[in-house]
Amino acid sequence: MQIIINGKTYAANPGEKILDVARRNGIEIPTLCHSEALPGLASCRLCMVEVHENGRTQYVASCTYPVADGMEVFTNSEMIAARRKILLALYNLIAPDSARIKGLLARYHVEPFDRLEADPDSKCILCGLCVKACEELGTNAISTLNRGTKKKIGTAFNEPAADCIGCGSCAIICPTQAIEMTEAEGNRTIWEKTFELLRCRDCGEYFTTPESLEHVRKKLGETVGNIEELQLCNYCKTKRAATRLKDGLHLDEYLDSDK
Amino acid sequence: MSEISQIKSETLKIAQKYLPERRFLLAILQDIQRHYNYLPAEAMKTVAQYLNVPLVKVCGMATFYKAFSLTPKGKYIIKVCDGTACHIKGSLNLLSEIETILGIEPGETTADGLFSLETVACIGACGLAPVAVINDEYHGNLTPASLRQILQQYQGGIEDAK
Ligand code: SF4
Ligand code: FES
Repeated sequence: MQIIINGKTYAANPGEKILDVARRNGIEIPTLCHSEALPGLASCRLCMVEVHENGRTQYVASCTYPVADGMEVFTNSEMIAARRKILLALYNLIAPDSARIKGLLARYHVEPFDRLEADPDSKCILCGLCVKACEELGTNAISTLNRGTKKKIGTAFNEPAADCIGCGSCAIICPTQAIEMTEAEGNRTIWEKTFELLRCRDCGEYFTTPESLEHVRKKLGETVGNIEELQLCNYCKTKRAATRLKDGLHLDEYLDSDK
Repeated sequence: MSEISQIKSETLKIAQKYLPERRFLLAILQDIQRHYNYLPAEAMKTVAQYLNVPLVKVCGMATFYKAFSLTPKGKYIIKVCDGTACHIKGSLNLLSEIETILGIEPGETTADGLFSLETVACIGACGLAPVAVINDEYHGNLTPASLRQILQQYQGGIEDAK
């Protein structure tokens, strides 16, 4: 299967989304509500592209729009560029402190709106990525609440959530860093709940909460291989895996030292 | 029975009229709202358990629809229509009259728990504009004066009079 993006032909696989094919081939499409770890949400609309298909022109969210053989995609048509600018200028008003949005503003030469005032306290663009992450993890501690101008992300009854394991995924995945997560003296506080932090077995750095570890262990169930490796921070886990690989491949013979 | 366990068992009775499937969440919440005139927190927890739906998703739905209230509502719910026709015919005057008499604004409930005030956007009775619905009773062609009289009837216990 082939699709045409900005006049060039690219191979694509059935079921893939336009964004996947574009990114794989280094074609730039800006996104806010997208994470490679999650299915597309089609909520920020920043990934919009122009699609010519069966003689029709459409403007679609490339993060969820599936490819079709022979489809023609434009990521930077006049229409798209104009709409993208408006979107970014609006997002800049909702999340005026966001470095990521500021970066996109510069990247796409967007003049900030001067006739509308930014809300200095608002950070969240309500993209829903945090909720999706929490859902996919199977914890379901947060959701969108209320509607319209009162819509927000929060926990049940706005109370510290029994379901929250303090993993911090929502805060890490948020494109505008709208979720407050603080760490001090071996504790992590998020969504008004405070967790103890565990140290990595190898390097001794704080890295996760006991609740998160337990969640992962339960999820993996019988398939959990080396329990001890769960107790390592990402860095040390990668290091151990790399060491194993190196030893297995007998790379020592090719490398002078392990710098 | 404590109040909490009573809510739990009542809620369960309501919920069990439906299969424990997520698609019935809205319908069950509507029945609970009808039963209590609001959604008690304990009832929402019970439904979440019964349907095996995360509690926060139940909260999400409960806070999304205007038909639900998370705080107890008054015995009489006054819905003042503020659709185009009623608006032009003076629904705002009705609202300020209610505020003078009862001291509540839309979304609020009187301290004695007798009245809650809401506005709705067109109830489809434009011929009667301006209209207010009190529980299921329609009152049309209202003026602040006639509304005052009607409210007095409710305050005097209209149901006992019937
Ligand atoms: S908190 Fe962040 S991730 Fe969640 S909806 Fe808001 S902007 Fe999106
Ligand atoms: S990335 Fe597609 S809508 Fe946000």
